Amino acid sequence: MIPSSPFLCVITDEALCPVTLAEQALKGGASMIQLRHKTASGNQLYSWAVEIRKRCRQYHALFIINDRLDIALASDADGVHLGQDDLPAAAARKLLGTKRIIGVSASSAEEALQAEKDGADYIGFGHIYPTISKQKEHEPLGPDNLQKTVSVISLPVIAIGGINAENAPLLISRGASAVAVISAVSRAKEPARAAYELLCSLQKGRQ
Amino acid sequence: MKHKKILITPLPRIYLISSGEENSNPGRLVRQLNILSATMPCIVQIREKNLEAKQLLTLALQARKIQLPTGSLLLCNERADVALAAGLDGVHLPENACPADKLRAFASNFIFGCSIHSHEALHIAEQSGADYLLFGPVFDTPSKRKYGAPQGLKKLGEFCRTTSLPVYALGGVTPRNAALCMAEGAYGTAGLSIFQETARLIETIEQFYRILYP
Repeated sequence: MIPSSPFLCVITDEALCPVTLAEQALKGGASMIQLRHKTASGNQLYSWAVEIRKRCRQYHALFIINDRLDIALASDADGVHLGQDDLPAAAARKLLGTKRIIGVSASSAEEALQAEKDGADYIGFGHIYPTISKQKEHEPLGPDNLQKTVSVISLPVIAIGGINAENAPLLISRGASAVAVISAVSRAKEPARAAYELLCSLQKGRQ
Repeated sequence: MKHKKILITPLPRIYLISSGEENSNPGRLVRQLNILSATMPCIVQIREKNLEAKQLLTLALQARKIQLPTGSLLLCNERADVALAAGLDGVHLPENACPADKLRAFASNFIFGCSIHSHEALHIAEQSGADYLLFGPVFDTPSKRKYGAPQGLKKLGEFCRTTSLPVYALGGVTPRNAALCMAEGAYGTAGLSIFQETARLIETIEQFYRILYP
């Protein structure tokens, strides 16, 4: 089950230990942790996944793995997050069954609609603002595109890209169910505190 | 944790690994498979580390459509999810992959093979219930030079005698030296470069077969 809105998703940072970061994010109130590491070995990913899953269960948070559905099944994660170049959602659904969660990255309303049709449970929409965490192929989408996408699909939308405690409330008020961050938590002096402050800021967007 | 599993047909002794260049030079694997469909059973491993999962699945589905001789096995490197989605026969795991037993939990009918370069890796592969092992590089091969000197025939023999699992010799193996690998206890031989020249593929396979199935 997707957590009730608004919630915080923290994605791991390739430069830092994902288990330590996940623990901090959970302490700060994140309801979803996504393990994302494009260069780690399968064995390393599996070991991290087992550790993060344990901690997520303790905090009743969801544990999602980016791209690697094999590792998600092996480690009994709650689901996967798929980019446009990863396994198609429809193929992933056949392997995961109905109990596990599938999130799909979209950068347009069309991609979001397609993901909904293919059986996704949520959409990761972005990047909303400029970001240093990932190399980007397109211009930031901004809150208007977010709102447009939210209006045409019925799935929860998680806004991602350059989000912090200052700009997060606006995105919630424009219909995002959650925000996902990497550096706003991982590069903060006190990641748990940064996560908590982000979570508090989301409440402002509901008013 | 060893699993009990009875293979209906024995593993083929000849093992082809894809070029790894399907991203820059697509189509070679399909050409190879079309030729192999008229020969003897082989193991074929799709090893295309430069492809994203979506492209890898497309390639695996294309490959699966080609009917190979009975007893052939079509495997994918590491990605059990892609292999399942494409209906392949199993997965080949590099030394640093997720352990086979963790993957077998959701892919119970799969063949799992493991690359091994050390006795420790051999032990881990056995414990995780591998179906076969891939050992190399036995001889000098251009693609592996950056990792240092080849392991050699003597070491191949040492590994083969240590395990009851079938071991495929990889790295610079040709029809001329394959018999030496078999004499050391290898179950079969694997290769990448030697199968690249599709014009000679049938001939190469036939030469290997005469040595591997005396």
